[in-house]
Amino acid sequence: MTDHQTHAQDCAEILREQHAAGRLDRRTFLAGLGALGLAPALAGRAKAQTSELVISNWGGDAVRYFGEAFGGAVKAETGLDLVVDGGGPSMGKIRTMVEANNTIWDLCDSGAGDSIELGALGMLEPIDYSIVPKSGLIEEFAYDYGCPNYTFGVVLAYDKEFYGDTPPTKMADFWDTENFKGRRMLRRRGLAMLEMALIADGVPFDQMYPLDVDRALAKIKPLAKDALFWNNGTESQQLMREGECQMGLMWHTRANLLNKETDGRITWTFNEGVLFPGIWVVPKNNPAGAEAAMKAIAAMQDPEAQIALLGLMGNGPSNPAAAPLIPEALKHVDPGLAADRMLKNDGAWWGANVTAVEEAYSTMIAS
Amino acid sequence: MSPGSVPPRRSGGLAARVNPYWLMIAPAVLVMGALYLLPVLNVLAISVTEPEPGLGNYAMLVDNAPMHRVILATLRVAAITTALALLLGYFVAYGLATASPRMRGLLMIGVVLPLWVSVLIRSFSWIAILRRQGVLNTWLVDGGLVERPLDLLYNELAVCIGMVHFMLPYAILPLYASMRGIDGRLIAAAYGLGASRLRAFLTVFLPLSAPGIVGAGVLVFIFSLGFFVTPAILGGGRIQMIAEYMSWLILDRLLWGPATMLATVLVLAILVLLAALSRVVDLRKLFGAA
Repeated sequence: MTDHQTHAQDCAEILREQHAAGRLDRRTFLAGLGALGLAPALAGRAKAQTSELVISNWGGDAVRYFGEAFGGAVKAETGLDLVVDGGGPSMGKIRTMVEANNTIWDLCDSGAGDSIELGALGMLEPIDYSIVPKSGLIEEFAYDYGCPNYTFGVVLAYDKEFYGDTPPTKMADFWDTENFKGRRMLRRRGLAMLEMALIADGVPFDQMYPLDVDRALAKIKPLAKDALFWNNGTESQQLMREGECQMGLMWHTRANLLNKETDGRITWTFNEGVLFPGIWVVPKNNPAGAEAAMKAIAAMQDPEAQIALLGLMGNGPSNPAAAPLIPEALKHVDPGLAADRMLKNDGAWWGANVTAVEEAYSTMIAS
Repeated sequence: MSPGSVPPRRSGGLAARVNPYWLMIAPAVLVMGALYLLPVLNVLAISVTEPEPGLGNYAMLVDNAPMHRVILATLRVAAITTALALLLGYFVAYGLATASPRMRGLLMIGVVLPLWVSVLIRSFSWIAILRRQGVLNTWLVDGGLVERPLDLLYNELAVCIGMVHFMLPYAILPLYASMRGIDGRLIAAAYGLGASRLRAFLTVFLPLSAPGIVGAGVLVFIFSLGFFVTPAILGGGRIQMIAEYMSWLILDRLLWGPATMLATVLVLAILVLLAALSRVVDLRKLFGAA
């Protein structure tokens, strides 16, 4: 993987690896994929029939597993057979198929910013919240053209052995190169990095948006010279695992994996992290019809399946009803339970500003 | 096609004057036209129609700072790669041209073999070698040559190392081809006239191999402009070249206008380079036709 990767793409990869390594039994694997809405890749493209509901996500191994695990709930709700296409619903692909009047996906695993941009271009069906009740969702993440299906965080991860008795606990520590030695790791994209820089600079959560981009870039610039930047989840894990970096800003799902595989040497804190939703979008003129897609979204808010996913990869339930059911051993992994210590990402602001901001961020890194 | 194979020309209509052998390449031309040329023209069309008709996207070349940064980085990395690949490749090509036939065979295998290893695998191998706990740094530290590991990876140096490694065969082969064409008796004549080895090389061999240097240089430079994988993996996010930037514009940002503009400019730049090259060297010879 050299391309820039979204969090959803990364989730598929984690599941695949664990299943291949035999750490997941098939049933749990299925439940996890089901909750994620993650798609084992079809050979070729799935052209939806009217009796099917096609979900697009970022790849995986076994399409039949998904059908077995989660098809039941969707079938009961919509009467349709679940089919999964791991084709990777990037904005470019969704736009291409909608413009060509050849939509083959009913639901796509996307992000808040993408849902806003594509929605504004008329590429998406609006989410019908009379079918998907907002009471079963984190309200801030319920967008006009996108509905949450899980939560994840960008967090501060660090090497416990390296920092010993004085581990970093807040964003300002990440910027404090005097008292906290070690190479830093940031993401190659500015999303969440700018917020974290402003948090370190003392901007309170409620005054975060609209972001002061210049101030954030000026804050990151002195760090960038010696830092490394990751493009995808595997890379972020590798840089921390191999000791290339001692402190990093990364997806909590990857930090959680690192924590397990290094027997706790690498750990993380949710303090002052940024909370994100994984987002379902429905491309315009989807084959099964908008209503069926909405019903499928509602069916996949099942708390049990969402908790199974939390156990597998740490993706937090999007349904608040799952919170009281989370077993003790998994509580430290759920970003949702730490939400009051985290900044909720404003997808609307990013949707409107992403191109200019990311270009400025790239320029800052390179110069 | 040798002249002898051309059937006798008859007077008459156009159909009669067309050499029937051209029909044999018609399927290939049609396939290329439909699957390659048309999409390329479509790319050209998008670059002047999106987001609005006009040359707005091309104006970005003048006033868009991020684009300047990407283009300059691409040109810089490609130029460094070309210079290093030519320098290193020249020695190898010289060795090849002057080696015994048996030795030449072995050397040639060594030159060509890496072409079968994927660029991904090669890039990841460089990570294993260059990283802080990598092979090279371990040797340097254990050998007492440096106190702590050097930062060899995730910077422009690493990108250039990876690209030069990939590009070496493309530099060596044209250089070798042009050196093979140099008449050895000219060198001997230089010696006969009292030239030292160095002087004979500098005043006779080097100028005669100049077309090979130009050919190899342009070839390597053109390939380097389009690099995607190596800078992405070895650059640590710091080196963004034009191909990676276009991919981001198209897939992530939906900015097809600027992306297709860059693609068009890249294609035009390459055509101009090739046209210039064709004035210096015989392209058919460079690309392997006898």
